[in-house]
Amino acid sequence: MFISRIFKAALGRFRSSLQLRALAYTVALSGSALVLLGGVLSVSIGNGLFSTRTEQAILESNRASYAVSRIFAGVSGSDQKQLNEALEEVVPELESIGVSQSRQVAFLYSTGDNNPLRLNSPKSLTLDEALITAEFRDRVHFSKTVQSQTVQISRAGESIPAILVGQKFTVPGEAKYELYLVYDMHNEQQTLGFVQRTLVLGGLVTLIIIGFFSFLVTSWLVRPVRDAAEVSELIASGDIDRRLPVRGSDVIAVLATSFNHMADSVQEKIIAMGQLSTMQQRFVSDVSHELRTPLTTMKLTADFLYSQKDSFDDLSKRSAEIMRSQVDRFDKLLADLLEISRYDAAGVKPQYEVHDLNGMVGIALEAIQQFADSKQVYLDVEIPSGAVQCEVDIRRIERILNNLLTNAIEHSEGKPVKIRVGQNESAVAVTVTDQGIGMNEAELEQAFERFWRADPSRKRTTGGTGLGLAISIEDAQLHNGMLEVTAAPNLGACFRLTLPKRQDIAMGESPIPLKLGTET
Amino acid sequence: MSKILIVEDDDALRETLEIGLRSNGFDVCQAATGLEAIPVFEKHKPDLILLDLMLPGKNGIEICHEIRQTSGVPIIMLTARTDDTDMIRGLEAGADDYVTKPYKIEVLVSRIKARLRPMKKVQHTIIKLGPVELDTLSHEVLKNGKKVSLTPLEFKLLLTLASHPNEVFSREMLLEQVWEYTYKADTRLVNVHVQRLRSKIEEDQEDPKLVLTVRGWGYKAGPE
Repeated sequence: MFISRIFKAALGRFRSSLQLRALAYTVALSGSALVLLGGVLSVSIGNGLFSTRTEQAILESNRASYAVSRIFAGVSGSDQKQLNEALEEVVPELESIGVSQSRQVAFLYSTGDNNPLRLNSPKSLTLDEALITAEFRDRVHFSKTVQSQTVQISRAGESIPAILVGQKFTVPGEAKYELYLVYDMHNEQQTLGFVQRTLVLGGLVTLIIIGFFSFLVTSWLVRPVRDAAEVSELIASGDIDRRLPVRGSDVIAVLATSFNHMADSVQEKIIAMGQLSTMQQRFVSDVSHELRTPLTTMKLTADFLYSQKDSFDDLSKRSAEIMRSQVDRFDKLLADLLEISRYDAAGVKPQYEVHDLNGMVGIALEAIQQFADSKQVYLDVEIPSGAVQCEVDIRRIERILNNLLTNAIEHSEGKPVKIRVGQNESAVAVTVTDQGIGMNEAELEQAFERFWRADPSRKRTTGGTGLGLAISIEDAQLHNGMLEVTAAPNLGACFRLTLPKRQDIAMGESPIPLKLGTET
Repeated sequence: MSKILIVEDDDALRETLEIGLRSNGFDVCQAATGLEAIPVFEKHKPDLILLDLMLPGKNGIEICHEIRQTSGVPIIMLTARTDDTDMIRGLEAGADDYVTKPYKIEVLVSRIKARLRPMKKVQHTIIKLGPVELDTLSHEVLKNGKKVSLTPLEFKLLLTLASHPNEVFSREMLLEQVWEYTYKADTRLVNVHVQRLRSKIEEDQEDPKLVLTVRGWGYKAGPE
């Protein structure tokens, strides 16, 4: 568990760090190269040592053969006692000469020879006769030259390689002998071991040095990339004036120059677009303000004419009524336009206070009741007992509620509209559900767009501005809340406003489900 | 018949306002530019001024300042800007109230009437608040025996607070009792006028002793 976590962490670090990866690959590749090189060196040194030793063994074997023939010089081939005495001298003599520090000797009487004399087959005490296999003896017996073979001998319980060398020898009296010499390769083994240890150690040291250098080189190479990444992050987070330092004229400098160039042109574009956007927002704002003076005049005039309408004839009277209602509509539209332009310019400063959502809903219902009556729409209200406290800019929430209720009544086609209020630990919510014409999916997507109407063919009975929901969703988002909708054609629509209880807490789940009136 | 001075550069609006005000029983005089405003004011001695803020020649804020040098006549600003800086500067310059375009004539008339309504007759007393004395009949205010000139609105604000010393008035209560707003209005009206009042009667405006702020609630009159 613990280990797997460490492994996962290391894997994660490995995946996320380019430098670590580059370092790991460099070390792994140079490590493999070093292992290969060490292997080849080790094998070739081993081979060299072995062949040198073998040549030396053969040379010494010839010299030994000469020494043995000197021992037998002047010995009568028919005198068994003399022969045996000479034979006894062979092993000590051969063990003492030669350059090899230790060698074992066997002077074996050839099998199958039918010399009538009883002759000994002397050998070194330490020699294990099993080393000299019948097979090898045959090879020696039927060959005129010196034969050699690699064997393993054991010394002090340790198995070490050795060279067995054998040749034929004929003692006086025509008795056939074979002279075997065993040269151990303990020294060569040690030399090879030392060389191998040195290779491994050297390899490790080289590897560490390579690792260190590649760390230096990769950090030198990675740093500009990392700098570029950091600067990109800073630029992305709004610090648009950041640039990379350009040093020298290498590929990194080219990267830095192109990066800076890109940042320059992005910055120019952003500034240009920002100016355009500011200009456009200011234009909308200015237009709205400029419209206010003539609108005020129109409003005053329309109101004055309306107040005098009783003295007019029927047509003039109706005209005065229409004019007044349309000037009011224009007024609302202009106010909404200004509100939207204020949102677009991010110039909205909410004033939060703690209010009771039940109370706000009550006030909104009272205000809309007359309109609902005129449409013969029953308002079905379900609110929890007790206060539903939340921190809001009350003007904005009242505006949302009024919008939702007006929309629902307008589209309910005389069927009841249900209003629900709910709360949980972190959030409050209100749903307004009608069972009217509803919306299809394409319409649903556009519901919060500016100047969009659910059904363009419908007459605009209430003279809504078409900006109501667009402002409402901005109001909801300003409160860190949500305004959502679900709907189905001819089944109605359900709007749900969810707000955090306080502005300093996260909202979490909405306390009321978002569903149509027909769903259970 | 109360006389209203309309300072407004838009001819159509000025004329419409005149019609509206006359039909509501007011006498009207007019000024079409900022430069005309003061001479017309001095000639006609109106009872109240409706003042547009954006004017050619001399802007509404300057006019406000100049009139306040000599007169406490009620001034209501007519502003197209909902951006607040101009409106606040106008109030600081001495305007009593403001109405945002587009407005209904009923609203404007009710604001005018609130400002012109004579104060309720009260028993003649002298109310003392530290070194300040208020004469409830002559509306004279003396500070250390010297006359202080307050506008009628400032006098009403001070009288409301000083009649009930140490009683806290919320901004909404003051809007209702002093400005006679019956529905929610801009509480900054109160803030700005309390500042103006303090600048006239307090020794040190930064450390008020007479009109005190009750944090999170409103204002009250001094410790006495």
